[in-house]
Amino acid sequence: MFAGIDVGASATKCMIVDESKNEVASAVRRTGMSLRKVADEVYKEALSGAGLEPDGIKVVATGFGRKNVDFADSIRTEISCHCKGCYHHFPRALTIVDIGGQDTKLIRTNVEGKIIDFKMNRKCAAGTGAFLEEIARRMDVPLEEMNGLALSSEREIEIGSYCTVFTATEILSKIREGEKQKDIVRAVFGSVIKRIQEMNPLIGDVVLTGGVVAHNEILFDLLEEALGREVLKPPKPQFTGAFGAALYAMM
Amino acid sequence: MIEMFQEWFENRHEYAKHWKEKTGGKVLGYFCTYVPEEILYAADVLPVRILGSHEPQDVTEPYIFGMFCPFCRDCLAQGLKGRYDYLDGIMISQSCLHIRQAYTSWEMHIPVPYSYYLPMPNNVQSPRALPYLVGELEKFKKSVEEWTGKTITDEDLVRGIEIMNRNRELMMKFYETRKAEKPPMTGLEAMFMVVSGQMIHKDDHSRTIEDAMKELDGRNADRNVGQRLMIIGSEDDDTEFIRMVEDCGATLVVDDHCTGSRYFWNTVELDGNPMEAIAKRYIERPRCPSKDWGERSRLPHIMKLAKDYNAAGAILVQQKFCDPHELDIPAIKNELESNDIPTLFLELDVTVPIGQFKTRVEAFLEMLMEEDLF
Repeated sequence: MFAGIDVGASATKCMIVDESKNEVASAVRRTGMSLRKVADEVYKEALSGAGLEPDGIKVVATGFGRKNVDFADSIRTEISCHCKGCYHHFPRALTIVDIGGQDTKLIRTNVEGKIIDFKMNRKCAAGTGAFLEEIARRMDVPLEEMNGLALSSEREIEIGSYCTVFTATEILSKIREGEKQKDIVRAVFGSVIKRIQEMNPLIGDVVLTGGVVAHNEILFDLLEEALGREVLKPPKPQFTGAFGAALYAMM
Repeated sequence: MIEMFQEWFENRHEYAKHWKEKTGGKVLGYFCTYVPEEILYAADVLPVRILGSHEPQDVTEPYIFGMFCPFCRDCLAQGLKGRYDYLDGIMISQSCLHIRQAYTSWEMHIPVPYSYYLPMPNNVQSPRALPYLVGELEKFKKSVEEWTGKTITDEDLVRGIEIMNRNRELMMKFYETRKAEKPPMTGLEAMFMVVSGQMIHKDDHSRTIEDAMKELDGRNADRNVGQRLMIIGSEDDDTEFIRMVEDCGATLVVDDHCTGSRYFWNTVELDGNPMEAIAKRYIERPRCPSKDWGERSRLPHIMKLAKDYNAAGAILVQQKFCDPHELDIPAIKNELESNDIPTLFLELDVTVPIGQFKTRVEAFLEMLMEEDLF
């Protein structure tokens, strides 16, 4: 058995796979303040879900808190792990877009699954999960209702900026103009897509993954709309990093 | 002895103050490495480069544009905070508008007895650049003579040239050792060496390089070299960033920075008129992108460095809002990558987000390592 633990900025994920790379168990929790504790907890939860003991299980840690997983056998950056995880599901040249809690990654691979280059957002967390959390709070919408609300939207409006601060100002003027909450929320998701397109022209087969898209499936629709073609969706997008780490544990 | 460079780097102001006390000489702060230090050494003036301190600051806002690069703002902040209060003069050679405004703002808001703007031509590839610069250097010499009350003879100029050349040749020798499979010095140590040389009297600096040279044999033999990287960008004295990169399992083996190789790469070839020889050196030195047109001469130079030093990858660091360098990045990236040298682009601010950058650097190193497997 092999385990991957992805200590992300918002959530910590664990996935355990068997020799044939099939999922045996997984667990996810909010990362919170103690990275060591949460890594330990998700691992234990996944183990008990599979009825396993930790003996003999190889563990690879990834994510921004990867160095805090003291029981890991080795560590890998989330860039490599997302690439590994996505390539397993779609073995071809890919452009991988991972939207996380604090950063957005764009990874390009060749046909062998090797990373050709990658890009991450700069200091600013615009267009990431943190952006959506902040806007949800300002609009008085529970985060988990954002997706449903946006799906019910019937009117297309546009938000010009993906900067959190500017967007908040723009939303105020939309409210003043009498726009509906659901339409504004959809436009907020639209700005996340625009931010990604600004980072990379998104050539070829595009995989969209990460915790933010796992909870907000409308992002798949919006990206497909923007690109005019199908966007690949891995099973359990929130876990591709943890899954990739587990695959590394196998090597 | 190599540790001395870091000590100087960290205590740059104490050194300059002490030098002034000891010699009674004048200290001049300069903003750009196109400043002809030969003429200053000929006049027994100590040139020190004005650099930032990589601390968040809130003093420059009223004095310089917000969209100017963090480096020029950081430099100006040092003056506003009084850290260069021992300077007798400041000067700049024309390079880019941002650093020029730092100079002009300093002149207006932090009065010093002497200041000089040297119109270094930007079109250095024009045949008219050399005679133009010779004329400007003559004017500058006259101005320094008036300031110091001392005539600068041709012998003085030759002495200035010799002081600068000796230092350049020594640094080149030092860099040469980094071509080895096990470089005896890290990129961080090389950075401390070059940057401290911009603040310390060249004679002290050269002597220390000579001594340090004797320690190089077998030095760092146990250190894991990891991936050999080149680093390319404008000014870069962010030692914390460099340390982080090398701690991730890499060694910076060569650079193209004006706080690095661009500063000392070519010497003054003295035959005939010393002023003309000095001018020629600055016209022909490895160029800053603000002066590198119509041909982009940096590309073959950078490629040669990468090959000579056997770099497996290159980090392109971009000072936020620095247009001349940003304009060159697509061409440099393309040139390196089409020669199988992968690149990583990072944007520097006064302070860098070490954690975020670390993930990027580690991922880049993982990518290079995978390359080794194929």
